[in-house]
Amino acid sequence: MRIELSVNGEPCEADVWEGESLLYALRERLGLPGSKNACEQGECGSCSVLLDGKLVCACLVLAAQAEGHEIVTVEGLAEDGRLHKVQEAFVAAGAVQCGFCTPGLVVATADLLARNVYPSDDDIREALSGNLCRCTGYAKIFDAVRMAAASL
Amino acid sequence: MELLRPSSPEEATGALGNGSRALAGGTELVPLIRDGLVKADTLVEIRDVVPRGVTGTRIGAGTTLAELELDGEIPQALREACAQAASPQLRSMGTIGGNLLQATRCWYWRLGFDCWLHGGETCFARDGAQREHAVFGNDKCASAHPSDIAAALLALGATLRTTRREFAVAELYRLPTDDDRNVTTLAPDELILEIELTTPDASTYLKAMDRRKWSFPIVGVAAARFGGETRIALAGVAPIPWLLDSVAILDEATPLPGTGYKVEIARALVRRAIEAI
Repeated sequence: MRIELSVNGEPCEADVWEGESLLYALRERLGLPGSKNACEQGECGSCSVLLDGKLVCACLVLAAQAEGHEIVTVEGLAEDGRLHKVQEAFVAAGAVQCGFCTPGLVVATADLLARNVYPSDDDIREALSGNLCRCTGYAKIFDAVRMAAASL
Repeated sequence: MELLRPSSPEEATGALGNGSRALAGGTELVPLIRDGLVKADTLVEIRDVVPRGVTGTRIGAGTTLAELELDGEIPQALREACAQAASPQLRSMGTIGGNLLQATRCWYWRLGFDCWLHGGETCFARDGAQREHAVFGNDKCASAHPSDIAAALLALGATLRTTRREFAVAELYRLPTDDDRNVTTLAPDELILEIELTTPDASTYLKAMDRRKWSFPIVGVAAARFGGETRIALAGVAPIPWLLDSVAILDEATPLPGTGYKVEIARALVRRAIEAI
């Protein structure tokens, strides 16, 4: 089936299989490999994207469900060639090791800070509870979130 | 596979049954299809035909858990059950109607073993890995029902309105039998449309998890007080959500060697929940 949707502000069309995930469509059909494919169960959050401004796991949404809706992926956060403040903070804090979880964490953090400019540590824990990192132990990630919040 | 987008509940139910499945948020169904545990020729997208939002004491079955966890008007037990379920990403999409129909997290079932619940002869958990499994109703199948929200609605004495009938949420669930391994009474072509709540004097939901976020319940305890009566229901302790007629029923639990600890956790959480309301 052919679907039309908005991705990172641009109207897009894609030919998809009815049972195919939004994640697959983004990565394999629309050339946006920033959202990562890991657990495919909604457990790790590495495929986190915004659907109409709500944080979702793209692996659990069918591409067909996104028809007519607005998607923002990690590729859509930078503006005019400048990284998003959250991306800058992840770099500055060294909040990346293998990097596989990073796009999802960046999107989840951007979503948190869009709603809450002064997040407490518990707010951060709650907002990032659906994103797993197996390398860093989260300390540097928390540093990055606090740094990004301070820079906004 | 075919995807249908009906424009009314009647059109949706007309398309259901015969190998088709209703798709709401997708957080449960999409991975089950991908893993081959659900075979569907046709998906019927029901998001536009099932009510969404809260009107007084009525909750549309298409309301997401994210919407409910922020709703100050609904009973505390339901709000807390929503807030403690899954992760923000899943609560954005997952609906309350779908949550009531989710399948067990038993890994034998999820990994596609030919287990009793799948129609086979043996519950592998009864002699195998069983730490997360049931302590009630577990003689045929030791799976544990994972819905926090079902326990909350049981304690709250909620009723459901479907495309066919209105009934107590307790009647949505049945222990599977040799003849019928289903854990719900919902017909293949029946849709949950609304949940009707009663308003308790006080209620709460307490949940023991392996970690503090994004875990299924080891034990979840919902308690609701209506005048002098307190209703208690448990998640994660039986193949279906479990209404506790009295605290003494905990003495009649039938834990497996690996699940006895759940009875002690249930005892502690029930005590705390009763104290809290």
